[in-house]
Amino acid sequence: MISIRNVSKHYGSFQVLTDCSTEVNKGEVIVVCGPSGSGKSTLIKCVNGLEPFQQGEVVVNGVSVGDPKTNLSRLRAHVGMVFQHFELFPHMSICANLTIAQEKVLGRSHDEALDKGMKFLDRVGLKAQAQKFPGELSGGQQQRVAIARALAMDPICMLFDEPTSALDPEMINEVLDVMVELAREGMTMMCVTHEMGFARKVAHRVVFMDQGRIVEDAAKEEFFGAPRSERAQQFLAKILQH
Amino acid sequence: MSYDFDWSSIPGALPFLWQGMTVTLEITATAILVGIVWGTLLAMMRLSSVPLLSWFAAGYVNLFRSIPLLMVLLWFFLIVPRLLEHLLGFPPGSDVRLASAMVGFALFESAYYAEIIRAGIQSVPKGQVAAAFALGMSYGQAMRLVILPQAFRNMVPLLLTQAIILFQDTSLVYVSALTDFFGAAYKVGDRDGRIVELLLFAGAVYFLICFSASLLVKRFSKRTAT
Repeated sequence: MISIRNVSKHYGSFQVLTDCSTEVNKGEVIVVCGPSGSGKSTLIKCVNGLEPFQQGEVVVNGVSVGDPKTNLSRLRAHVGMVFQHFELFPHMSICANLTIAQEKVLGRSHDEALDKGMKFLDRVGLKAQAQKFPGELSGGQQQRVAIARALAMDPICMLFDEPTSALDPEMINEVLDVMVELAREGMTMMCVTHEMGFARKVAHRVVFMDQGRIVEDAAKEEFFGAPRSERAQQFLAKILQH
Repeated sequence: MSYDFDWSSIPGALPFLWQGMTVTLEITATAILVGIVWGTLLAMMRLSSVPLLSWFAAGYVNLFRSIPLLMVLLWFFLIVPRLLEHLLGFPPGSDVRLASAMVGFALFESAYYAEIIRAGIQSVPKGQVAAAFALGMSYGQAMRLVILPQAFRNMVPLLLTQAIILFQDTSLVYVSALTDFFGAAYKVGDRDGRIVELLLFAGAVYFLICFSASLLVKRFSKRTAT
């Protein structure tokens, strides 16, 4: 489904990604973790072309992302993405947030878009908030709406870029619950996150990055059981200490 | 020093003064409308990654912001008539002072609006563009549906303040002897030998309109700030 092959990226002389390769198969859940500044977010943004890269190849569902001939908008319409800071559109109601791209990008009728939007809003447990504006919701609720907004586009896979890092601790679980449910339904997911509990619960593989390189790419049991790289061992020791 | 004020020439001149006010309002409205549309385009060009576009916009904005308005108006007063005669087939010598004033103001104000709008666009968090793109929107859709509505909301107080300044600046059209509100007041005063009264009256009218407008802006920006 997602295939990242030898991707390198630099801003000027600063190397952000070096020779990164990994695969996400259909129905797989991959967690990408690593210290901050390791290039995790940049890597996931290369998958839907939000970040350009200089070398290598990213292929999503058979479409090459880096190819200048690729219609990126068309690809992105079917690759859901959830951001650290939610990025709901603050000048629109929740309802409009859910329907606008369905109507303007996919060309669905308003009624169809509304139906679909409400269905997913209900799924994340926020149907009662449809008429409110993003500013009136808590962070956790906003992030759930953002997930519903992405799902309403019928994505072939979902990208999560630190979806819980900007949330108060008591709101993290309500977002993770939605993600766990999604994973169990068989959604193909690539998640940049520090939530190791989530990784243990639903991830198939864990990709560990450090300084722009993929240091470890292993099955979950292997990664948590006995990480091969010293850097990953240190990282795990630090974040699992408490 | 004593001066006998005589306001008696004002009531009779009100229709003429009102005519002048419509000219003032016409110029103001045209300049605001064109200024916002052309200013938005300039702002988008300036922020564009195509060097040619951003250079052009930067050049335009810097040029107009570095020349006195009075001079721009005089140029347009001198150039535009010839141009209009040429382009639109106006008979030579026809009165195009209003048209040239409108063009001059519109192009001049666009430069100021462009800067306000650019700041407005940049005030929208970058993640919003990313989110719009991630949903499959094109650049145009992202701008139109997501970025500009938020940018304009942030800019409304500044845009209105600029409009108030513009309203006052329209009095500069007197260089082309065009009868705007100020010009009308001046002409009446000149005719009746009551320049002092008429100019005081005109000043009071400008003050009333601008001051109440700026109070409105203040109330509005307080409301949107929350």
